[in-house]
Amino acid sequence: MSIDTPGAGIEPFYFGTDKKLFGCYHAAQSKVPRDCGVVLCYPMAQEYIRSHRTYRQLAYHLSKFGFPVLRFDFYGCGDSEGNCEEGRVYQWLTDIGSAISEIKERCGSVKTCLVGLRLGGTLSMMAGAERGDIEGMVLWDSVLSGRTYIQELAILHRDRARHSLGKAKQDTADERPTEILGFPLTDLMLADLQHIDLLSIRQKPANRMLVIASSEEASQGRLRTHLKSLNANVDYQNVSSPEIWIEKNKTVVPNEILKAVVSWISRVYP
Amino acid sequence: MREEALLFGKTKSLVGIISDPTEARRSNRLPGIILLNAGIIHRVGPNRIHVKIARTLATVGFAVLRFDFSGIGDSKVRDDNLPFEESAVRETQEAMEYLTATRGIKRFHLIGISSGAIVSYKTACCDPRVIGATLINPASYGDELRSYAKARRYWKNALSDPKRWAKAITGKANYRTISPRLRTVFSSRRKALSVASDIAADFRSLIERRIDLRLVYSKGDLGLDCLDVILGNELRELNRRGKLKLEIIPQADHTCTLLESQQRLLKVVQNCAWAMVQGDGIGPDFVASSVAS
Repeated sequence: MSIDTPGAGIEPFYFGTDKKLFGCYHAAQSKVPRDCGVVLCYPMAQEYIRSHRTYRQLAYHLSKFGFPVLRFDFYGCGDSEGNCEEGRVYQWLTDIGSAISEIKERCGSVKTCLVGLRLGGTLSMMAGAERGDIEGMVLWDSVLSGRTYIQELAILHRDRARHSLGKAKQDTADERPTEILGFPLTDLMLADLQHIDLLSIRQKPANRMLVIASSEEASQGRLRTHLKSLNANVDYQNVSSPEIWIEKNKTVVPNEILKAVVSWISRVYP
Repeated sequence: MREEALLFGKTKSLVGIISDPTEARRSNRLPGIILLNAGIIHRVGPNRIHVKIARTLATVGFAVLRFDFSGIGDSKVRDDNLPFEESAVRETQEAMEYLTATRGIKRFHLIGISSGAIVSYKTACCDPRVIGATLINPASYGDELRSYAKARRYWKNALSDPKRWAKAITGKANYRTISPRLRTVFSSRRKALSVASDIAADFRSLIERRIDLRLVYSKGDLGLDCLDVILGNELRELNRRGKLKLEIIPQADHTCTLLESQQRLLKVVQNCAWAMVQGDGIGPDFVASSVAS
């Protein structure tokens, strides 16, 4: 007898135009697969590395519940082709499109659900609003404003550089950051990110949506209100959990949130 | 340069990415490079540095494999009870077997950061196919040696600091934090020195085997203190005679986070690669055979 463990039954591969994107496909593990493929969109930079373990666990649980799952690395991130400096928002939105085509081709399902943490959620919502054909979406502590996101990361970077990264010369607070914790922030990337404002999106991103917040932070509540105004069918859950994208929680897998995500998707797509 | 995703190993459950050089750059005299996980960070490495290293070295002409040990990243958890120290070495050997079977490569240079450096060194000790190792900030040689090195560093700094002397003399020192550190030095010394002596013997044996041994440290990393306990004054002599190569990266943390320190680390690895391309560190018989052919 062999015990099924996370990591079993996955297929690592390259896909998309010129096979530039790396993905891991988790085939549905139940006898009757559900008619909805799930695409997991990672956050960026250091947050990508810190969330990798959690995403693998989430993919494993979803596949056990009968969902085919594709988690993939955006261009210039993880194992995908390209340098970190080449990251652009339009490219990442195109990548989501490639991932959707790939999972549809692999599992033959018509419906797609996007799941994203932080900037992964933000990009999912932008892609969904642009395409108009996404069935379900889970936005987990999504970044609402690119400007605020950059400011927060710049503060984190400066603090860490000062305390533990061994940097003698410090960027001053009003200096434009050129890197965030070991990942470059180019002019083009900065401009792209600063334009992000989820609350200005006017198209419904998906038919069924879950906004999930790991703290009482007000912004996720504002996102729910905004989505309701777009006539989306939105559920909102506040599941108090460690923020895995920050340094001190980098080894945590927030199982309560994973349970909430899996149970919501299973309920909505029986 | 071309990249391929793969599943390999006895149970075909280890996930890796191989970066292959172009046909024009491919050379059968170069060793294969294997990059090993740093802690629980998956195969892209801290700050994606493994990807940068792999692509840089593949451009020079090396086939480079970065993969996840079982239970880390995308690789499946093992079905047996092997402790990590053993399974990691065994899986590194499976990576070598994969490269031999698919690329005909029979000699290897291992690269690892932090715990990956320790697995590199352990594998080099027990497998003659390893002809070189780049150990970046190795520090996890065991709790005793780490605690001893840490306490020793504290006392070295404290004893050379006039301000702390003044505090001690005037009774303003925090004796509650001092005494446990003092106890650690004495209680762990014997065990730590015994561990250090075994590791020093391993290093000497690697040097005797003419392994291309490169030690890379961030300035101020605890690994340097461990190395000082392990080799002491012998280190300078071995470095001077070229028996091992020591590189110190200034203003860098344990995983070389800042872009500037990543660039410095990449430069060190690139120089090592160029030295290998020129025949250094790939074994005299290997150079002779390639010259003859």
